[in-house]
Amino acid sequence: MTAGIPRFTEAESVTEQQTDTDQQAEAPGPESAADFEGGDRLSTAPRPESSLAVPRLGTWELLRWMWRQLTSMRIALTLLFLLSVAAIPGSLLPQREIDPSKVLQFYLAHKTWAPILDKLQLFDVFESVWFGAIYCLLFISLVGCILPRSLAHFRAMRGRPPAAPRNLKRLPVHASFRTAAPAEQALAAAQKRLKGRRFRTVTGADAGGTWVSAEKGYLRETGNLIFHLALLGILVAVAIGHFFGFKGARLVTEGNQFCDTVAGYDNLTMGQLVGPEDLPPFCIHLDKFTASYQDSGDQMGQPRTFDAYTTYYATPTSKPKKVDVRVNDPITVNGTNVFLEGHGYAPVVTVKDGTGQVVYDGPVTFLGIDANFTSSGSIKVPDAKPKGLGFQGYLLPTAVTVPGSMPASVFPAAQNPVLILAAYAGDLSMDAGESQSVYTLDTSHMTRLQVKDKTNPAGGNALMLSVGQSATLPSGLGSITFDGVKQWAQFNIAYDPGQPIALGSAAFAVLGLVGSLGIRRRRIWVRVSEQGDGTRLIEVAGLARTEGATPTTEVTEAAETLAAQLTVAPSGSAPEERVPEERDPAEPGPAENDKQQRKSTPRTGASA
Amino acid sequence: MINENLAHYSNLFIALALVAYAFAFFAYCAEWAFGSRSRIGAKAGAVGRSDAAVAGASAAAGEHTTVSVGSSGVSVLTRTAQEEAEPTIAGDSVRAEIGGRFAVLATFIGFGLHAAGVVSRGLAVHRVPWANMYEFSCAAALAMAFAYVVLLTTGRKVRWLGLPVTFIVLLTLGLAYTVLYTDAEELVPALHSYWLYIHVTAAVLSTGAFGVATVATMLYMLKAAAEEGKLPRLHGVLERVPSSGMLDRTAYRVIAFIFPLWTFAVIAGAIWAEKAWGRYWGWDPKETWSFIVWVIYAAYLHARATHGWKGRAAAWIALLAFLCVMFNYFGVNTLLTGHHSYAGL
Repeated sequence: MTAGIPRFTEAESVTEQQTDTDQQAEAPGPESAADFEGGDRLSTAPRPESSLAVPRLGTWELLRWMWRQLTSMRIALTLLFLLSVAAIPGSLLPQREIDPSKVLQFYLAHKTWAPILDKLQLFDVFESVWFGAIYCLLFISLVGCILPRSLAHFRAMRGRPPAAPRNLKRLPVHASFRTAAPAEQALAAAQKRLKGRRFRTVTGADAGGTWVSAEKGYLRETGNLIFHLALLGILVAVAIGHFFGFKGARLVTEGNQFCDTVAGYDNLTMGQLVGPEDLPPFCIHLDKFTASYQDSGDQMGQPRTFDAYTTYYATPTSKPKKVDVRVNDPITVNGTNVFLEGHGYAPVVTVKDGTGQVVYDGPVTFLGIDANFTSSGSIKVPDAKPKGLGFQGYLLPTAVTVPGSMPASVFPAAQNPVLILAAYAGDLSMDAGESQSVYTLDTSHMTRLQVKDKTNPAGGNALMLSVGQSATLPSGLGSITFDGVKQWAQFNIAYDPGQPIALGSAAFAVLGLVGSLGIRRRRIWVRVSEQGDGTRLIEVAGLARTEGATPTTEVTEAAETLAAQLTVAPSGSAPEERVPEERDPAEPGPAENDKQQRKSTPRTGASA
Repeated sequence: MINENLAHYSNLFIALALVAYAFAFFAYCAEWAFGSRSRIGAKAGAVGRSDAAVAGASAAAGEHTTVSVGSSGVSVLTRTAQEEAEPTIAGDSVRAEIGGRFAVLATFIGFGLHAAGVVSRGLAVHRVPWANMYEFSCAAALAMAFAYVVLLTTGRKVRWLGLPVTFIVLLTLGLAYTVLYTDAEELVPALHSYWLYIHVTAAVLSTGAFGVATVATMLYMLKAAAEEGKLPRLHGVLERVPSSGMLDRTAYRVIAFIFPLWTFAVIAGAIWAEKAWGRYWGWDPKETWSFIVWVIYAAYLHARATHGWKGRAAAWIALLAFLCVMFNYFGVNTLLTGHHSYAGL
C-alpha cells in the first residue's frame, strides 16, 4: 500500500523523476496518479493538512492510518531527530553502564535532582524505555519502508526500461542530427552503443518512429536497500551480543593469578542466555607489569608503553604460554578476549599486632587518582590483637616534599615511593553484613591513633614511610613496615558472539551507502523518426533520476559517436529543432523552476 | 625518537602558513569589497538568447538553456545549470580581479607551507601527524584547504569559496597554534595501533569536508534570502555569489560524497574500540556524539527527499549537524571525560 514511491533516497530529483514515462513504467496503482498531482512529494504520508485530522474510522482504518504515518518520511525524520536528542543526556550525565561510581558521586552532589533524573532513567539512557521506544519505532518505520521498496525494486530489476517519451526535446539534455542511413541501422547502432556502456536497453516503435530506451544505475537503489538492511543486521548483532555475550573485569597484582570463573571476577555481566559453565576455563598469571612515561617536555608524565607480561593457560591442563598483553593487543582464547584496561600500584606492607604476630603481609591494591598516580587505598587488619587495625591513606610513586606543604607525587613512575597513612584502631565493622569497598576504611567504630613524627612535621598526624621503613604504633598496638611496591593490571574479559555479524553488517552498510550516494541513475533515449525528405532525425536525450546527474556528456558523446557512424545529412531547418517556448520567463528560481517545468511537461505519447 | 629539528621546522612552517593565509584572507576581502556587478552573467544569457526562441531562459536563476552545434553536425540542447554562466565575486572590477588572483596565489603558498608543516611534523614523530588536538586541527584545516585547492585546480569557478574557507582555516590553525599547541612527542599506549591511521584519517577528511559543505550551506541561506528580496544591504555582494541552487547543490554533493566516509570513520572507530577496550560500542561521549552527528547528517540526506523539508529546512539541519561536529571535537575533548581524552587534548 505504501509501495512504489521512494522514501529514503535523498535526492531522487523530482523534476526529472516524475516525467510521464516513469509513471507508467514504475509506479503502478493509485499512487502514481496521486503523486503526479502531488508534484515533488516523495513521502507516502498524507498531505500535512489532511494528516492533522484523525479520520473517524474503524480500528482497521485507524491501524492503517497509523501505519502509513509511521512509515512516512516525516515521521522517520522526526524519529531520527528524537534519537539524536535522546542520546545527548547520555553523554552529559554519568551513566551506570559506563561508570557506576560517577553516578554515585552525582547522587551525593545533587541530592534533590538525582532521584528525579533516575526516575526518568537518565542514568541509563541507552537502556531506557524511551530510548528503546524511539529506535524500535525507527526500525519498524524502516522495515515498513524497505519491504515495499525492495519488492518494487525487484520488479524494476526484472522489468524493462520505460518506453521513450514522444517529445525528447523536453528532457534536460537533448542532442540531434540528421542522417540518410536507414532507420534500422541507426537504431541498431544506438542500441549497440548504449549496451556497450552497460545500459539496460529495450527497443520499440510508436507513431513517432522507432526508439531505444536505456537505463543505468540500478545499483543505486540496490545500495540504498542494502544499507538499510545492514542497519537491521547491526541491530540483530547488538541483540545477540546482549543475550549471548558476557563481560567482566579483574584486577591482578604482579605474582598473582586469575581464573575465568564467576567467583574469579571483580565484576561480571552475563547475557541472559549465558551460564557460568559457558565461561572458557583459562587462567592468567601476571608475572610483571611495566610502564614507561615521558620524562621531559610539555607532555611529561604521559604514559608511553604499558606491558603486562603474563603466563596464560588456555585450559587448566594446557601448556603455559608467555604473552605480553598491551593496550590494543588483547589475548584471544576461544573467541573470548582479554584486554589490558588499567593499572596501578599495590604497596607491599607487613603489619604486626600488639602481640608481635605478623597479621598481614602482602600487597594492597591502591587506586590511582591523578595523572601522577597519587593512589589512595586502605589496609585492613581486623584480626589484630588487642585491637583491630586499619590504615587509610595515599601512596605517592615519586614523592617530593616541599617545606611547608604536604608531600606530593610529581611523576607517575615509582621512583621514590612514599606511603602516607592515617592509622586507626578499633572495630572495622567488616562483619556488619554490608559489603565494604576495599579502598576505604569504615572508621565509625575506630579511633584515630596519634602517630605524629616529631622529626618530620610535614606528615601531620600521619605515618610517612619510604620503602624499607617501619613505624611503631602507640600504646603497643603493633607496627607497620613498607616493604616495597608492586603493580597491578586490570584485565577486561569480553565475549560477544554478535561481533562478526556487526562487522559484516557495517561493511555492507558502507558499501550500500557508497552505491546509494555515489551511483547516478539515469535514462537515455534514442529516437529515430522519418523526416519526409528521405532523411531521418536521430534524437538522443537523457534524464537523471537522481539529483544533479543529468547525463549531458553521455548524451552528447553518444550523439557524436552515432553521427560519426551514420554520416550526417545537412541539417534542415525543421521548426521542431528549436528550443521549446513554453518556459515561463518570469520563473523566480531554480527550485520553482523545477516544479514549473514538470507541471508544464505534457504527458505525451509513449505508450509502452 | 623524536626529531627535534624537524619538529621545530614544522612549527615554523605552520606559522608561515598562518601568515600566507592571512594575506590570502585580506586579498579575498578586497576582492569582495572592490568587486562590482558582473556583466558576465548577462553576456552568457545573451549567448543563449541569440536564438530567439530561448527568450525565456533565465540566466540569473542559474537554469540555463543553451544550443550548440558542433563540427560533427550534432546540435546539443541542454537545460542544466551552467557553471560558466555563474557570476564571479570580482565581477568586472579589475582591482577586485587582481585581489582575487593574488588571494589565490597566497592560498597556494599558504597551502604549500601548511602541508610542509604537517608533513614535517609527521616525519619528526614517525607517525601520522594527527594524534592530538593540535595535530588534528592542523590536519583538518589542511584537508579543508586541500578540498578548495583541488576545486581551484580543476578549473572550476570556486573563488567564491576562498573567503570563507581561508577564514575557517585561519581560525582553526590560529587556535591550534596558540591554544592547542603541544610539542611533538610519542604516543600514549592507547594510540599504538594502525587504526590511528585509518580511523583518524577518515575523521580528519570528513571534518574538513563537512566544513566546506557548511560554508556552501551558509552562503546558500544568505543567497536564498537575497533572492527573495531580503537582506537589501548585502544584495550587492550576494549578487556576485553563485545562485542559491548551485550553492545548495554544492553543499549536497560534498555531504553526499563524504557521508559514507564519516560512516566508515565511525565504524573504524568501533573496530578499534573493540580491539582496545573489548566492546565495539559503549556510548562513550565521543561515540555518542559521533552517532549524533551521523544521525543528523542522515536526517539531512532524508530531508532533501522529503516534501516540505527541501531547501532551507534541510540547510538548517546541515548547519545543526556541523555544530554537532564542532561540539564533538572541541566540546567532547575538553568538557566531557571519556576514552578520547588524550595527551595535550
